[in-house]
Amino acid sequence: MRRRRRIADLLTHAALIFILGLTLLPLVFVVNNSLRTNYELDHAFFGIPDALRAGNWNKMFQSYRDAWEVLRPYTLNTLFVAAVTALGVTTLASVTAYVFSRYRFPGHRALFLVILSFMMIPGVLTLVPSFLLVKQLGLLNSYWVLILPYIAGGQVFAIFLFKSFFDGLPGELFESARLDGAGHVRQYTNLVIPLSKQVLSVVLVTNILGTWNNFLWPLVTNSDAKYHTISSGLYLMTSSTVAVNYSNMFAAYVLSSIPMLILFLYATKPFMAGLTSGAFKA
Amino acid sequence: MTSQRRFSRLAQVLPLYGLITPTFVLLGIFSLLPFLWAFWTSFFDYEVGGESRFIGLANYAEYLRDPTFLPSFGNMAFLTLFHVGTVLIFPLLVARLIFGLSSERARYVYRLLFLVPIVVPGIAGTLIWRGLIYNDQGLVNETLRAFGFGGYARGWLSDPQAALAAVAFIGFPFAGGINVLIYYAGLTSIPESVQDAAQLDGATGLGKFFRVEAPLLMSQVKLLVILTVIGGVQSFEGMLALTRGGPGFRTILPGLWMYFNAFSFQRMGYACAIGVMLFILILGLTVINMKYVRSAEERMEARS
Repeated sequence: MRRRRRIADLLTHAALIFILGLTLLPLVFVVNNSLRTNYELDHAFFGIPDALRAGNWNKMFQSYRDAWEVLRPYTLNTLFVAAVTALGVTTLASVTAYVFSRYRFPGHRALFLVILSFMMIPGVLTLVPSFLLVKQLGLLNSYWVLILPYIAGGQVFAIFLFKSFFDGLPGELFESARLDGAGHVRQYTNLVIPLSKQVLSVVLVTNILGTWNNFLWPLVTNSDAKYHTISSGLYLMTSSTVAVNYSNMFAAYVLSSIPMLILFLYATKPFMAGLTSGAFKA
Repeated sequence: MTSQRRFSRLAQVLPLYGLITPTFVLLGIFSLLPFLWAFWTSFFDYEVGGESRFIGLANYAEYLRDPTFLPSFGNMAFLTLFHVGTVLIFPLLVARLIFGLSSERARYVYRLLFLVPIVVPGIAGTLIWRGLIYNDQGLVNETLRAFGFGGYARGWLSDPQAALAAVAFIGFPFAGGINVLIYYAGLTSIPESVQDAAQLDGATGLGKFFRVEAPLLMSQVKLLVILTVIGGVQSFEGMLALTRGGPGFRTILPGLWMYFNAFSFQRMGYACAIGVMLFILILGLTVINMKYVRSAEERMEARS
């Protein structure tokens, strides 16, 4: 029995490693080819970097220096916009969700349904009129044109996640906190928020990923390259009329992934726990 | 109720409305207003900077006769169905394989590793497929040449026969990202007692999977199918970066045509009409999807 178990495990490992290999193969090639010069890439698609063989580290990372030169302003923009958006979304959404979860007031149910109904509005419908709106408001070519709509749109799903979580907190918890003399605000800041680490990290990560990945909105609202983000910047880099330097492009793809990689190293555990514990159970 | 009591009740409730006001203000300006504006604009012949003229349903009538209408909806349907198929098979297969491992640690590591592609920005992933895999001297063509099948090498995204299929295969083997985690969460939430009962009944392997586990994953399936269908109808950013709808209209999508009309041809009214039609389609599909899958679930409950 145990032997059969071991064989089954072994076969499963083999299958998983095969699929995983296919999944990660493009990324392996991107990293490898980013370390080769354009000249090398033109001559042979397959091959390890010449500079690696020669031990010439300085030359090997030349593409990264070039790519960073272009990406640096975009990266700083994205970090700023993502941070402000995430802060806005988590604050607004957690407070609103808390109010709906803990208190009853006239219009309580109807107003919450109104919020949920915004999930039914697809982005493809509002892209063009949103553009006309921000143009009318004079927000084009600014950070606000990204931040405000991102907060407005991002909070809906976050409110839904927060409220489902808050609804599950036992009432006795608040009762005892109240008896200890904690007021409404203290109950929220000292009791609810520390308990919400998992759902908080799911909201933060999905929100930051959203900002990171959105390239269409920055593209259409910023004619000025000054306010572009990583994603729209990468798109502009490849669609420029200058011949594409693949070595630099591959380096740019790697660089653009590093901030998210760092985020995941920090947030993976609570994020996966949050997902597994059913944040996404429809 | 005395007026004093009514006042104190009001004093209790007012701050609550105050706290939720920012949420509603932002939603009102940046979501509700564009939503209503989309319908309104769709009845006008409107170019930015030009004058706007009310033309009733003429934009809609024009779109139905648009040369891109049939090809774009055909392409959209093909890609959406293809991805519904992939999301039902590959992430579920991977999740089930991971779930079956006996080592807790190995299960964790695999879940983590399959999540890795999520750190690559979506547009970078798309451009990687364009520049690394489908390029003239890219992975596919160079592999074909290396094995002596150079005759099959082609510009995958510019070949009229191959472009749509090439786009569909982007992301192969479709197992990276959070879909695996969503299925995995479903598998872990199946009660131990159900698994044990199945074991006692002699259900093993595939039989156990299809008879016992798959029906209990219906809520995950429902979620992912809805998300895939909605995404399939409205997403076009990838195609913008890959082919811009070409060659000809071989990979045109309704959303992409909307984008070109708005931001290349400045035809805002016409673009909004396309957007409204996509919204109606998404609404209809969501309702059908929820109804159909719900009833399948209810049938299951009735049976058990």
